[in-house]
Amino acid sequence: MWKCFFSLVSLGLKRRKLLKEHFEHVEAVFSYSVRPHYSFESSESLILIAYAEFTLSILEDLSEGRSPLIFIQRFRIYCTNSDSNWLVMGWLRFFEAGRKFDCINSPNTAHTIPVLVEDVKDLVSVAHYILVVEKESVFQRLANDKFCSKNRCIVITGRGYPDVPTRRFLRLLVHKFCLPVYCLVDCDPYGFDILATYRFGSMHMAYDAKFLRVPQIQWLGVFPSDSENFSLPQQCLLPLTIEDKRRTEAMLQRCYLDQEVLDWRSKLELMLQRGTKFEIEALSVHSLSFLAEVYIPWTRPSRRRCFQKTPPPHQRSSFSHAPLKTPEVPRQCPMSKPYGESPP
Amino acid sequence: MDDLCKSSMKFFSDQQIRYAEILLPHEVQARIQVAVLNFLKVLASPDPAISNITLIKRKSSNSKVSEGILTDVSWIFLSQYFCTRSLTRANAAKAFIRVWKVMEMCFEILIQEKRVTQRELFYKLLCNSPDYFSSQLQVNRTIQDVVALLRCSRYSLGIMASSRGLVAGRILLQEPNQEAVDCSACGSSGYAISGDLKLLESLIMKTDARYIIVVEKHAIFQRLAEDHVFNQIPSILLTAKGYPDIATRFLLHRMSRAFPELPILALVDWNPAGLAILSTYKFGSIGMGLEAYRYACNVKWLGLRGNDLHLIPEQSLAQLKPRDLQIARSLVSSPILQDNYRQELELMMQSGQRAEIEALYFHGYDYLGKYIAKKIVQANYI
Repeated sequence: MWKCFFSLVSLGLKRRKLLKEHFEHVEAVFSYSVRPHYSFESSESLILIAYAEFTLSILEDLSEGRSPLIFIQRFRIYCTNSDSNWLVMGWLRFFEAGRKFDCINSPNTAHTIPVLVEDVKDLVSVAHYILVVEKESVFQRLANDKFCSKNRCIVITGRGYPDVPTRRFLRLLVHKFCLPVYCLVDCDPYGFDILATYRFGSMHMAYDAKFLRVPQIQWLGVFPSDSENFSLPQQCLLPLTIEDKRRTEAMLQRCYLDQEVLDWRSKLELMLQRGTKFEIEALSVHSLSFLAEVYIPWTRPSRRRCFQKTPPPHQRSSFSHAPLKTPEVPRQCPMSKPYGESPP
Repeated sequence: MDDLCKSSMKFFSDQQIRYAEILLPHEVQARIQVAVLNFLKVLASPDPAISNITLIKRKSSNSKVSEGILTDVSWIFLSQYFCTRSLTRANAAKAFIRVWKVMEMCFEILIQEKRVTQRELFYKLLCNSPDYFSSQLQVNRTIQDVVALLRCSRYSLGIMASSRGLVAGRILLQEPNQEAVDCSACGSSGYAISGDLKLLESLIMKTDARYIIVVEKHAIFQRLAEDHVFNQIPSILLTAKGYPDIATRFLLHRMSRAFPELPILALVDWNPAGLAILSTYKFGSIGMGLEAYRYACNVKWLGLRGNDLHLIPEQSLAQLKPRDLQIARSLVSSPILQDNYRQELELMMQSGQRAEIEALYFHGYDYLGKYIAKKIVQANYI
């Protein structure tokens, strides 16, 4: 019922060690285990302690003639809001608050699970990768095609823009299993925005981005160039509206496109240049199970794919005009860029 | 007693009902083949002609009311008037062809034993025959045409739809071969109702609740679920986040049949749209009139009603918009609305105001729970 957020004002750069200890202590005390039924007095006195420490440190800085350097970090209490708007299926099993969620039993059924990330124990998975999809209808399509029976993976959908518990759970999975994470979104500005929310955090909660983002996520599809690679008919490409174009231009201004993911920038520019967008469902025009049987297994970068045989003839004939997109070498080694902070 | 209800004590109005059956895939394939063969028979006869497609008219002029005499449930159903799609009429020729195209696509899908969403069907049709399909709305209407032609439900055609419904409260739902899910421990989001009607049919339900409360809005549902209102008043909460989809209505109907002694109470806003949502749960809809009649339940109006307006401060009352007035007018003209609902509607239209349930928070965050409890205890529902 209460969504309290405590803003903690902290010490300067020079006291990094003290800072770290301080944060760990405060984190342990404040962030995760506060429930609405706990008495409010205990957390009040803790807030007072935190304020006292902050004031003391500012005074110390001033008395020694230094200008006080302040970090502002907010600890948002996420745990009181246990509802989550996401579905999961695949090779995963965990316990949460004493209940067992066994998706391994029936890997093709979707499970809506309310999850408090802090209560998750005994997380077990035999998957090889994690697939995040944007829309629930794509998730249902994969469930219908029995995707998880043939591929060892965990499929998650945030049903649009992901909410906080989804992102935290994804972060937990990545941290625990160190699996590659792939994201499947529509080829339109909203899809890209959702991808950016997973990867870098959202604009609205940018202050919390460090604890909510999943920097290892990779863009699996769909790209503007896929419309030629898989020879989609012209009618499936919808024109970009003025609103879409404005959004895309605004997104191109974002700083991380210049620094972190330059190849995303080129794809976004290609989409803007062509003035068309298309959805994931457009890929099912050739065959309904195209997404599950061809697109995902073949575009997922993996060293093993380079040595696999070519697709069976009955699938090749359906897009005989264009060559099948060749499997790429791994686009980005997930662990190559340390992001500097340790997960909570 | 059940047989008596289903018997012809309803004064023969049932003979005019047209309905869509829920069929197995091979039966639907057979019906499609029969339709094609009939068409070809007429075409290949000594006096060849292109036969028209006769569909059941899905307008309110063709809707009739079935009053439940021995039960409290009445519903709207579609009657015998037809409209035709003909190739020979200039403007409607494309509509005629669209019906055949969709039937062809559904036949293919049924053979592959898969399910598609309406969006995927749109893309396939767009790619297949771009001249005839230009928007999703056309595809949706054509699907309803095919339902009307073949008299089988949309779900039997292989079209899956996701559901927006949620359930919370004192009920245990168990899918076959799975663990039972306790909906009171699901947090404020509850248990999401799946769009798969076959799955919903096979759910095993156990409850110790005394009421079923249907909520219009998601925010109110979340608030009530967080406050654990279903523990104070033993009840089951259900929402479809607005106008209910078939899966939510199906589940509500199943619950009302499995636990017939639980009254179903609706918590909607004080505006014509709220009353329209209530009547969709209660009587069914005309747009999907061939299927929806089956899932009508005896839902009673708990709140907000005219006699609750004194609880709401003056500033929270808003003006009725033109769209609201339009809905109100169409509700007033429908024959099925009972008298006390009609009075409430007229009060709404006269005062020109509407109010939302959130206005009750003026009295405090937990006021809504107390309000519901008081009304239930006083049996103040119509």
